[in-house]
Amino acid sequence: MTRPIIEERLSLTLVEVQKPNLTDEEVQYAIQTLQREPNEVEWAMLEAQWSEHCSYKSSKPLLKQLPSKGTKVLVGPGFDAGVIDVGDGWVVTLHIESHNHPSAIDPYGGAATGVGGVVRDILSLGSRPVALLDPLRFGSIESSHSRWLFDNVVRGIADYGNCIGVPTVGGEVEFDPSFERNCLVDVVCVGLGRKDKLVLGEARNPGDLVYLVGGRTGRDGIRGASFASKTLADKSDTERSAVQVPDPFTKKLIIEAILEAVEANILRGMKDLGGGGLTCGLAEIAAKAGTGIEVDLSKIQTREPNMLPAEVMISESQERMILLIREEDERELVNILEKWELSFAKIGHVTKDGLLTIRWGNEIVAKAPAKFVAEAPFATRSAVRPRYLDVLAEVPEPALPEDLGQTLIELLSSPNIASKEWIYRQYDHEVGIRTIIKPGQADSALLCLPNKRSLALTTDGNSKQCYVDPYWGTMGVVSEALCNLVASGAEPVAVVDHLQYGDPGNPEVYWTFKEAIRAISNYLKALSVPCIGGKVSFYNEDSTSRKAIKPSPVIAALGLVEPKTPRILQALRKEENDLIVIGNTSDEMGGSEYYEHIHKLAGGRVPRVNLKKERTLLRSLLRTLRSGRVESIHDVSKGGLAVALAEMSVQGRKGVTVDLDKVPNKTSRMDNLLFSESRSRFILETKPMNTTRIVNSFKRLGIPASKVGSVSDNGIEFLAKGQAMLTIPMAEASRAWSEAIPAAMEATI
Amino acid sequence: MSPATFTLEVIVENKPLARDPEGETIHHNLILKGGYSQVTSVRAGKLLRMKVEARSSEEAEQLVRKLCDDLRIYNPASHICQVRVLS
Repeated sequence: MTRPIIEERLSLTLVEVQKPNLTDEEVQYAIQTLQREPNEVEWAMLEAQWSEHCSYKSSKPLLKQLPSKGTKVLVGPGFDAGVIDVGDGWVVTLHIESHNHPSAIDPYGGAATGVGGVVRDILSLGSRPVALLDPLRFGSIESSHSRWLFDNVVRGIADYGNCIGVPTVGGEVEFDPSFERNCLVDVVCVGLGRKDKLVLGEARNPGDLVYLVGGRTGRDGIRGASFASKTLADKSDTERSAVQVPDPFTKKLIIEAILEAVEANILRGMKDLGGGGLTCGLAEIAAKAGTGIEVDLSKIQTREPNMLPAEVMISESQERMILLIREEDERELVNILEKWELSFAKIGHVTKDGLLTIRWGNEIVAKAPAKFVAEAPFATRSAVRPRYLDVLAEVPEPALPEDLGQTLIELLSSPNIASKEWIYRQYDHEVGIRTIIKPGQADSALLCLPNKRSLALTTDGNSKQCYVDPYWGTMGVVSEALCNLVASGAEPVAVVDHLQYGDPGNPEVYWTFKEAIRAISNYLKALSVPCIGGKVSFYNEDSTSRKAIKPSPVIAALGLVEPKTPRILQALRKEENDLIVIGNTSDEMGGSEYYEHIHKLAGGRVPRVNLKKERTLLRSLLRTLRSGRVESIHDVSKGGLAVALAEMSVQGRKGVTVDLDKVPNKTSRMDNLLFSESRSRFILETKPMNTTRIVNSFKRLGIPASKVGSVSDNGIEFLAKGQAMLTIPMAEASRAWSEAIPAAMEATI
Repeated sequence: MSPATFTLEVIVENKPLARDPEGETIHHNLILKGGYSQVTSVRAGKLLRMKVEARSSEEAEQLVRKLCDDLRIYNPASHICQVRVLS
């Protein structure tokens, strides 16, 4: 059956598609390469695939700097997820995605479909999604708009994760006015699979059949890819289909059906359809293997009548996967799909010619080399160091607060520091019964693996520090992620990064992006940890003020815990035990919660990392933790030493008495000593008989370490020069820390 | 004119061209499997029935529309919202 395309009533979408949202250079490149003017279907495909969102045209050359190889890395960047060999035939897959723009206009649906998207990435490697983590960023919690976004995003994640039976085991949240209109909603997903059952997104075998499985194709999400690559404007509210409707129960069926097909060894290639829809899926799966694909769009089940070929090619309808199988396995696949009541269509086959051939019945509606479609020309971007950085570096020091006890209470109740229980109690964090360490208990979440090892997972970001100093701020983020892993007794194995910035066409924004990649790359190379994937999200800016968000690189890190490693939490365990501080505290107050929250001050010197020392410290700490001589541990991060000690104290319902004179430091002021966020510091609780041994083991390596005090049955007490300097009752600290977020969220709109 | 009590209904549903997994599930798993093949589509939504004190039905409707917008009873990015006066 042929279909008259030209006579079709022009929909609004098509009229828009006729003006490709491409640069002049891209238009020229397309015409030159094809030796003709692309038709409207081809323009639509190129527009979708060459959007920043799908093509990484501004970031790819820089991302290549990141180390991606390692002995445990089976699959690195460039696929739907990275794959790590965790031994005994098991693999773990890891990926991070964001759904920032959809969540900014429909926080519930946007966040839920964000979870759906990353789960599909994990699934498309043939692995079962087993855990989610959610790094989130919102404007000030004082703003009702931000609270509305926050509340709905958390519910969206919770409901979706719960429905598909995947636990949400961790995450982090940061509040900063730069995210007021453009919240950041990131989702990390971890999968578990068998090494011999891995499926790659490559169409390696000409002749294989192409199946489209899952939801039917509708007009929703059309221009979604280019939508994400456009700065959010108010009219987003009226773009009818920019946001998807989440459908977690269909997703659950897809997960089970796909894994059954994986188990049956019939999948020869697989790809999830996300941004860029069918165009992106087909082009990439063919380009990766150097093959071509021919499909007939008229075979695809559509949800709306009269969909145009261009619309079908770029639709981003959710819950769809492309499966490649051999002809002889067709019956088996169909049986599985029918059993799970999934709709599906055989739409074409893999070819040798390297071309994407798109037909509607007998008519060819688009034809272009797959590699050409899949690989957008790189965009050249200029980078200029922003001048505001000089201003930020020179901010004058604030006055010393009169009552440092009150300052500590205020910091504990800052939403960036306060307990996040309000968030994670909404999540199901135990479904699947793999969760050993739950949210809030330690610096990383811990999941048990089938081979007696366990998996440590963490995610970190710090946009305040990355704003004041893009290089050292970013390095601090990576350092914190790895410190969190090690504090849980895990050896860091791999990370994925998510780099979120404003418009890359702005040279100052692009400079901060380059600095972030340089920082991540330097850190990972020094610590020999590979980056196995990631994501870049540009155009995150406020539609009203036109200001970009603060640079927000987010790191998700994965570590392995060897069998028999003791499980060590943050909560203090026993009175009379000693407290040890490891690492040096300096006047590094830039981007600290103390400057930002207490003094409303952005600027100053951002904490730096000594890479050589960091490597030695983490190795040595891991050895110490494995020895079983540590009772509890917490890394020092937001809010500094005082906050870290208070958190351990509140969680363990034990007091602390700490002599500040004994803390290894080079600070010039008491407030800096208490609240500096200098990197690479830990607090350890030990039995008195083990203290000297542990302290000496670090000192021997040139790492500052000192016994600073002990666990008590009183409140939180800091001494200086033999006198009580700061004392707060436990109940007060506990109330400040536990009730801040629930109280803010109960405020009336 | 003295205030009277009006009954109004607010109906919130997904935009007509957006998906509606709840309606689809009811249609497919309940209605079609139950043999009612004459039913070709089901859309699910949310209904709020409110009693409002106002001087006129127009005033009541305006008030309810305003509260639906202000308090985000629905999200204009993904829903349509109808307000109708019953009595």
